[in-house]
Amino acid sequence: MLVFDQLNKGQRPLRHLALATGLGFAVLLAGLVRVQILGRQRFQQSLQTQSYKAVRVPAMRGRILDRSGRELAGNSPRYRLDVYLEELSPDFTREYTRIRRGILSARGAGAQPTPGLWTRLMSRLRREKTKPLISTQENEGLWRAARFLVVSNVVAQVSTRVGMPLTLTESDLHRHWANSRALPLAVLRRLSPQQVALLTEQSWSMRGISIELQPVRSYPHGPLASHVLGHLERADDYSDEDEEAFDYRLRDYRGVAGLEKAFDAALRGTAGSKSILVNSAGYRVGETIASPAVPGRNLVTTLDLGLQQAAEASLSQVNGDERGAVVVLDVRNGDILAAASAPAFDPGEWIDGVSQARWTNFYDVPKRTPLMNRITDGAYSPGSTFKIVTALAALENGLDPDRTYRVEPNPANPAKGAYFVGRHRIGDTAPPGDYDFRRAFIRSSNSYFIDAGLKAGFDRLLATAHRFHFGEPTRTQLPGDEDRAAWMPDGDEARAGRWQLGRLANFSIGQEVTVTPLQLAVMVSTIANGGTVFYPRLVDRLESGDPLAETRVEQVRPGQVRSLLGARPEHLALIREAMRDDVLADEGTGKASRLADFSVCGKTGTAEIKGNGFKDKVTWFASFGPFESPRYAVVVMVESGGSGGGTCAPVAKRIYEHLRDRGLSAPKGLASLP
Amino acid sequence: MISVPSAQLNRRESGIEWPLWAAVLGLMAIGAAFIFSTTGTTEMARGVGWHSWTASRQVVAYILGLGVVAAFSFVDYARIARWSLVAYWLAMALLVGVYIFGTSRHGARRWLDLGPIQFQPSELAKLTFLFALASFLSRPAAELRSPALFAKGLALALFPFALILKQPDLGSALVFLPTTLVMMLVAGVPRRFLVKLVGGAALLVSLIVVDILVAPPGWRIIQLQEYQRHRLLVYFDASFAPRDSTPEQRLRGAQLKRQMSWNVEQAMISVGSGGLTGKGWGQGTQHKLGYLPRLGAHNDFIFSVIAEEKGFLGSVVVLGLYATILFTGIKIAGEARDRLGLLLASGVVTLLFTHVFVNIGMNIKLMPVTGIPLPLLSAGGTSVICSLIAIGILQNVHLYRRRY
Repeated sequence: MLVFDQLNKGQRPLRHLALATGLGFAVLLAGLVRVQILGRQRFQQSLQTQSYKAVRVPAMRGRILDRSGRELAGNSPRYRLDVYLEELSPDFTREYTRIRRGILSARGAGAQPTPGLWTRLMSRLRREKTKPLISTQENEGLWRAARFLVVSNVVAQVSTRVGMPLTLTESDLHRHWANSRALPLAVLRRLSPQQVALLTEQSWSMRGISIELQPVRSYPHGPLASHVLGHLERADDYSDEDEEAFDYRLRDYRGVAGLEKAFDAALRGTAGSKSILVNSAGYRVGETIASPAVPGRNLVTTLDLGLQQAAEASLSQVNGDERGAVVVLDVRNGDILAAASAPAFDPGEWIDGVSQARWTNFYDVPKRTPLMNRITDGAYSPGSTFKIVTALAALENGLDPDRTYRVEPNPANPAKGAYFVGRHRIGDTAPPGDYDFRRAFIRSSNSYFIDAGLKAGFDRLLATAHRFHFGEPTRTQLPGDEDRAAWMPDGDEARAGRWQLGRLANFSIGQEVTVTPLQLAVMVSTIANGGTVFYPRLVDRLESGDPLAETRVEQVRPGQVRSLLGARPEHLALIREAMRDDVLADEGTGKASRLADFSVCGKTGTAEIKGNGFKDKVTWFASFGPFESPRYAVVVMVESGGSGGGTCAPVAKRIYEHLRDRGLSAPKGLASLP
Repeated sequence: MISVPSAQLNRRESGIEWPLWAAVLGLMAIGAAFIFSTTGTTEMARGVGWHSWTASRQVVAYILGLGVVAAFSFVDYARIARWSLVAYWLAMALLVGVYIFGTSRHGARRWLDLGPIQFQPSELAKLTFLFALASFLSRPAAELRSPALFAKGLALALFPFALILKQPDLGSALVFLPTTLVMMLVAGVPRRFLVKLVGGAALLVSLIVVDILVAPPGWRIIQLQEYQRHRLLVYFDASFAPRDSTPEQRLRGAQLKRQMSWNVEQAMISVGSGGLTGKGWGQGTQHKLGYLPRLGAHNDFIFSVIAEEKGFLGSVVVLGLYATILFTGIKIAGEARDRLGLLLASGVVTLLFTHVFVNIGMNIKLMPVTGIPLPLLSAGGTSVICSLIAIGILQNVHLYRRRY
């Protein structure tokens, strides 16, 4: 030791000093090792948590497209006016100082002259305790007021500039300041292009404000296909999220109905995050993108925009305030080409939330229930359209289609027929007389089909209905569709003999059973395509939202066969012919859908619903066309309509008209079976 | 006794103590660089001219200090020591002056406002006290056995101690204790006196600690300022609320404690987050974002800025430079021509070491927070010039050392 060697001459105190100094440095060194080497992770972490705030940035939501790539739901830019608090913070200080000075002088502090030397000396001896003129709590209030003054001044100037009253309450500002100081304060959420122009003009500028562009869900066709698309809602709870702790979250939406809900995860994409560097006062200093958001995937549906528009327009011509549904299927593969439910709503209005008044006056109206998807969630008695099932069961039971059956007149109304089950009388809408299968079908004779149904028996009838998968989910992937909306008679109960003949008679003509419009469309398709039951397909594929990204396209296979009907072709041909004649024959109930150059085949239905003190009707038209090479199935359902033939057949006619006018060539993008 | 010709004894030996000055220059470079890193960008942003930057003022203080040292090195320290008592009383007068005329910053009255420059007399008091005590103790060791003389020597220390304590500046005042102790030890004051001195000091410190931690509010023996009490409570990690307090008081106490321990916590985060190699010069976020106190980052907390930006390696370099100065100082003390030189050198070493230890210790929570500057690195003209003069004393003792 250089120093020690020279201290060997009896200078013990110096040696001690050297030792103590060395020891002191060793202690400091140990302390530094502890903090900088051993504790560095902990301190680096504290540095992170105190100076970086993680912000969750939602991804751009994927679009929903029709089968040709036309947009049903997309994103549109929205301009938002933000106030950046950190840019105003020097003004806060200035304003605070001003207010404080005012208060101090009002309380007489500034009025006193600077005390002379003697006074200062004496005051020291007297040990006077000067009480602060402004208490800590009051001081806090002064800061609050100063901030509010500055920000509300900015807001007021913006307000006069855009010519629109803007309100900012002190508590709003304080909440934002206390909870999310590092984020800009949104003052105006929707700026019109004119307002943007006014605010970005060169001659006018203002410190602390900025216009932010953000994508917001938009539905370019308004209420079109609203029940299929569904709607969004502000997502405020993130309980489903992984543990990644965010300090702040930017506004995000989640689907709460329709495809928006069913494919929420895919459409939403993956939220990104950015880190905001904040200073010790909590204001933003800078920001970095920690992980970019991955945009949601685009959902390509099987819907055809033109056909959907035609279907909705056609349905709305019933009376403008109708409740009903239209489904158009491709009978060759089960693709849902159009699906309309009325009354519809505009999903776009859910983005900013629906007002209480709007909810009570529009949405929460009994019977109207615009949010209900009548296509898949509405369960209705099929009425006479169910006679197609009864017909098939009867034919398979050996019914001779050419043998005539005599319908007795109704004693109460001799112009109409009636059927007697024991002492029970079931009225008919068709006149009495002789009916063969064809005539009974096109006049929709209840008596004929009750007779045929009773002969076929309950088990055969129920089994035939099950072959069309009535009473089972249709599996469209729409939320709610998995529930069994519609119900079938309980076979065990009936077989146990608790069913009286009257109930079975009613079952034969479409009572005692409910179906959804989509289920009925599947049934008609099956008759039309010669006996293949397809799963209805609504989603064609999910593809990447970024056209350049090479991500796998998730294709839903078209034409998935659910089961084969197993009926003999001549039976199906008989039914198809009967359906054609229902439209073609002058006495057919469906003649209102007759169309030149396009042979529509259909079956009408009018189900009467009687309850305690009310009587209502559900009217149907279940159809397909063209007869020669069946291609489309169209099912129309209207609640409280007049009759199937009178109310629903014309709706179907207009849809077929649209299909006919497009030509029989496949619409662009329509998938054809291999 | 061998008679040595006086001319030979007083001969000015040529020779600058190079390791000492290399270390000093190194610390100066570091000081200027990191004061600029801490204050430069904000000052530039505010449009302050380069001549008014804190870093520039620091460099001016360095140059001034070096000038004073160079001037003094022409004069034998023994000659200077003759004026020690005059200087001592002058400094005491200035301390009293501070008490009456001084300007107050952040609740403490420590500065004398001399127009363009502000001057901190407590720094000067440390130096003059050093000279006064050294020349007082340089009498033959045998004389120091008298209790009266010991009391007189102690009084020399207690006078500035009390005045600075009153400012209030507890930290600066406590610096006098180890310095006095070491100088007396080196001078050969009998052990029994020193044991009493240490005992007295220990009693004082323990009284303060007990007073703060245990005694009920009415019992205060030593009147400390509220902020001093808080700093010590933070250091001992004790509750801010009295023992028999309501939950509400406790809550408020905890809040206050968080507030008060903020500086220490932030200094620790600075030092700790620097890790092994640091974030690089000018890259420290703790002071840039205002987590380190704006008013303290470039002076009392300059070490945490260096530690954050240069990491453990940077801290070790700083420690190494101080160690070089201090051990060279001890070596110089060992080679001193006479008792005065020995006492002066060992006093300077103790004084500097106390500053270094307390300041760096405060940055890593080994020591409670006090306003003691880090010699040469902390921004502040008075401190820099006085530190340089202290190191100049070492050089002077070296220059007029004995030759064998």
